[in-house]
Amino acid sequence: MSQAAPAGAQKADVIGDMWCGYRGEDWYYPRIGGTAGLSSKEFVTSQREAPRDLAGVLDESSQTLFLTELWRGLAMTLKVFFEPKVTINYPFEKTTISPRFRGEHALRRYPTGEERCIACKLCEAICPAQAITIETEEREDGSRRTTRYDIDMTKCIYCGFCQEACPVDAIVEGPNFEYTTESHEELLYDKQKLLANGDRWEVEIANNLRSESQYR
Amino acid sequence: MNILIFSIVLKILALTVPLILSIAFLVLAERKVLASMQRRKGPNVVGIYGIFQPIADGLKLIVKEPVLPSSANLVIFLFAPVLTFLLSQVAWASIPFGEGIVLADIHVGLLYVFAISSLGVYGIITAGWSSNSKYAFLGSCRSAAQMVSYEVSIGLILITVCICAGSLNLTEVVLAQTQIWYCIPLFPLLVMFFISCLAETNRAPFDLPEAEAELVAGYNVEYSAMGFALFFLGEYANMIVMSSLCCIFFLGGWLPPFDFAIFYWIPGIFWFSLKVVFFLFAFIWVRAAFPRYRYDQLMRLGWKVLLPLSLAWVIYVAGVLLCFDWLA
Amino acid sequence: MAAQAAPAPADDLIEVTVDGKPVKVPKGSNVLQACDAAGVDVPRFCYHQRLSIAGNCRMCLVEVEKSPKPVASCAMPAGPGMNIKTSTPLVKKAREGVMEFLLINHPLDCPICDQGGECDLQDQAMAFGSDRSRFTEVKRAVVDKNLGPLVKTVMTRCIHCTRCVRFAKEVAGVEDLGMTGRGRDSEIGTYVERMLTSELSANVIDLCPVGALTAKPSAFTFRNWELASTESVDVSDALGSAIRVDARGPEVFRVTPRLNDAINQEWISDKARFQVDALRLQRLSQPLVRGAGGGLEPATWPRALAAAAEGLARARGHELRGVAGRLADVESVVALKDLLNRLGLAGVDGADSVLLVGTDPRAEAPVLNARLRALALAGVPFASIGAPLDLTFPLLAAGDVVREGWNGFAVLADAAGTVGALDLGFVPGAGARGVAPRAVYLLGADDYEEGDVPADAFVVYQGHHGERGAARADVVLPGAAYTEKFGTYVNAEGRAQSTKAAVGPPGAARDDWKVLRALSEVMGAPLPYDTLAGVRARLAEVAPHLARRGALEPPLWLGADALGVGGAAGKPAADPLATRVTNFYQTDAISRASKTMARCVRARQNPVPGL
Repeated sequence: MSQAAPAGAQKADVIGDMWCGYRGEDWYYPRIGGTAGLSSKEFVTSQREAPRDLAGVLDESSQTLFLTELWRGLAMTLKVFFEPKVTINYPFEKTTISPRFRGEHALRRYPTGEERCIACKLCEAICPAQAITIETEEREDGSRRTTRYDIDMTKCIYCGFCQEACPVDAIVEGPNFEYTTESHEELLYDKQKLLANGDRWEVEIANNLRSESQYR
Repeated sequence: MNILIFSIVLKILALTVPLILSIAFLVLAERKVLASMQRRKGPNVVGIYGIFQPIADGLKLIVKEPVLPSSANLVIFLFAPVLTFLLSQVAWASIPFGEGIVLADIHVGLLYVFAISSLGVYGIITAGWSSNSKYAFLGSCRSAAQMVSYEVSIGLILITVCICAGSLNLTEVVLAQTQIWYCIPLFPLLVMFFISCLAETNRAPFDLPEAEAELVAGYNVEYSAMGFALFFLGEYANMIVMSSLCCIFFLGGWLPPFDFAIFYWIPGIFWFSLKVVFFLFAFIWVRAAFPRYRYDQLMRLGWKVLLPLSLAWVIYVAGVLLCFDWLA
Repeated sequence: MAAQAAPAPADDLIEVTVDGKPVKVPKGSNVLQACDAAGVDVPRFCYHQRLSIAGNCRMCLVEVEKSPKPVASCAMPAGPGMNIKTSTPLVKKAREGVMEFLLINHPLDCPICDQGGECDLQDQAMAFGSDRSRFTEVKRAVVDKNLGPLVKTVMTRCIHCTRCVRFAKEVAGVEDLGMTGRGRDSEIGTYVERMLTSELSANVIDLCPVGALTAKPSAFTFRNWELASTESVDVSDALGSAIRVDARGPEVFRVTPRLNDAINQEWISDKARFQVDALRLQRLSQPLVRGAGGGLEPATWPRALAAAAEGLARARGHELRGVAGRLADVESVVALKDLLNRLGLAGVDGADSVLLVGTDPRAEAPVLNARLRALALAGVPFASIGAPLDLTFPLLAAGDVVREGWNGFAVLADAAGTVGALDLGFVPGAGARGVAPRAVYLLGADDYEEGDVPADAFVVYQGHHGERGAARADVVLPGAAYTEKFGTYVNAEGRAQSTKAAVGPPGAARDDWKVLRALSEVMGAPLPYDTLAGVRARLAEVAPHLARRGALEPPLWLGADALGVGGAAGKPAADPLATRVTNFYQTDAISRASKTMARCVRARQNPVPGL
């Protein structure tokens, strides 16, 4: 870990540092190990020494005695008390969802109706939770297709790796997240369920893919 | 004789029923005010603006299954929340709401209230000990130590006020503020008293012993359903008691802000309620604004800051009064 | 039979430097072998150490000092004092360039190609290739060829390394494959549509570095990364080829050869490779007892063992006969022998064996045949006695007569369990021949003579496939197949090797020696071993060479006294000497149950479709 320099701090190495984020006017590191990883402003504050001159001492003492920071905190809270609330009335009001949102899985088809999945098993291999189970066979017309394509939605971590790995955009994570069930078994999706999902959500999924394709 | 008993019972009911109702709605108020300070709405589904939420909560707690740990001392286990709730109700006996509107106008009313709050520590200790659980016991020890530490400074502050008022009788204390409320000459004492009340009732920022993330609800971790409900109610009742004490000692009880005849048309109870509500709002406000004290910081504050300060104030006020011969 | 290459004498080593490291290699090696000896990885597609050098892929280019151009290391003989560099910018650029060229016409088939995950082209492209393509024209495509029911072809993927052509010509001895056309339009194929006629044809699947030639029976059914491998030994013939059994969960998906210079080098026969689909067909997975209605009914183990014990107890002395099948491992044979001996008998019926040199090694042990071919080409004379044969190497047919002064004879067993059983002394005892058996214990035996099992005998069949033996039996005890147990088999050379369990036996089936141990307990004559170690200790007692796995041993049973009834008094048989293997693809219970083998038989009947 490197010591952050005080004034004129260098920008963070975003690729190198996983938990780095931009906060306000400076880059912010998590506080691990004392002064290592402080922003420049915080570093300056933490290295501040107790004042020795009378003015400084009086300043500090009066701040302690008259609870200055406490009144400031209370004032801030009261200000927020009167501000408009940001709560939305969920089932009846909903926020917008990003086209990149990863929700319920679906197996897509080509416009001709042929299923896209060619049983390459890349999604099964990349899945970090090993939620996908595939069995394959040659179909009567000689093409390579799955006989079983199960996703255990309770093992799935919704990372989207399967959709990134798929070379033909067969398995995707659609925008739906409201698919709660009343039994565990219903969440063990099989190929039939996934294809049905795909048929149901194809329009929205295709739109999302179209807008995202330039970034993928 | 029957009439007497009947009237006393009626008075008690007139005190406890509104009290319990106000505790219920204080719970809702806390959730709503806290939410607003966090820029969100609180409960708003159960009734309009959520006003039936406390009824729903109460109903839930009543029908919930009470879980009794097998290794717990059952009698004390079940008695502890009862004791806590009991004491919180009993403390209201000597609180005056208006001129003569008090259940028991005893001459040592202050001492009585103080004694009741000290007894409250028993409730905590017995709850934690009888649960027969490490976390419960540790939580209760911490909580009890905290309460006891801050009772010292409460006591010293109250002594100061009593010196000013010249009596232990709560009605007398209120009447002594007719000219000027004590919060004006003794404002720092009000602040210190408020802080001590926060610590006494285990409220934020001094709520480490019962903070969920730290000690998994502390001494009442083993309690469910009705036991938990009684602890909960007792804590909020204590909160209201402390607010009313603040109001009586520093804000002039039922007296209107200015000594003009117009203000006396509005009954004293209204002023009293207004001030108590203000203090309750302050309790919630402080909870929303400040981070939690760590336990050692908390104890340090009680013993190393508030105790010397309140002691100093006693001496200072006593000195001033003696000097200017203002002793009542 | 097992020719070992003698190590080069010390003065035949030359010293070269590879990437600064000096290394000594035998004279006559090429630069690529020198790099291998130094531990440096040089990528290659067309070079294979057991095939002739082609030098057409150009991937093995390395830089040799004093040479202006990079050198094809597979084709350049190593000279003393050569300084070879494999990681210079020139070499890197050469490799990237070659890879770019190879990928120009290679289709983007990785997701649908069976070779994905174990593809040389993929691996070397990742390691040595560039990350982007500059090709903007149209790729060429090639028509797929029909090479038979075993090898699937997608010739668009072919990179023309010609390994398959060289293998078919040099190792298998059939010149079925060739390259037609030139440049962009070159194609590998048989020119006229015909199936590959060699029993080793499926080895081209292993050789092909890309997915042009893949296995047809198991096409599209797995990816290599989901298979768990077990090193084992093949039992489709008496050669005992080293194999690797790949399984996913409880199912075996494929068998590939393992390197064993002494036995099978890197090749296995088609039967060894593709019979494994039979492991899930017609399996005996629970004990069966013939019920009152005459049909076999499922039973629990205790009931089946009790029925077997009762039936076997009816026989006295020589009336009890045991027959070991072709795939019986020595552990179960020794258990059976011990059991029968304990039940008071003197003898057991031996497995039929003894094929004299008048066999068809091409049909019986194709990989062995390839070795023999190599020897023949190296100049060792071969002759055969018996029916005329086509063994793909020159052979002297010596007629049907054993001549005076014949220089000994080699006995080529045709079944995996034969030599082992004989080594254990599993032969008929004196006096056994004359008695009609009243109870017969078939240990996986489906190829017995009808006369050996009379119609009124009580038959217990212990095996893994439901066939002739199980159909005849009165009690069926399910055992484990060779991929499901730790069994030892002695090959035709006398080498004892063990299979390892890749998966477990299906259903209620158990290891064979364990079944016999349980039966012995029920019959009141418990065998003295309870663990595999115990069985193997007993084996070492009976035949010490069985404990020395992997070593070549002279067969014990060729001693005169062990060969059964009085040595030299046998009369010559009336029928001409001929091999018993008439149908290479279906020789034992497993290969007879396999659908792939059935397809091969049908295809063989019509090798050139349309003709």
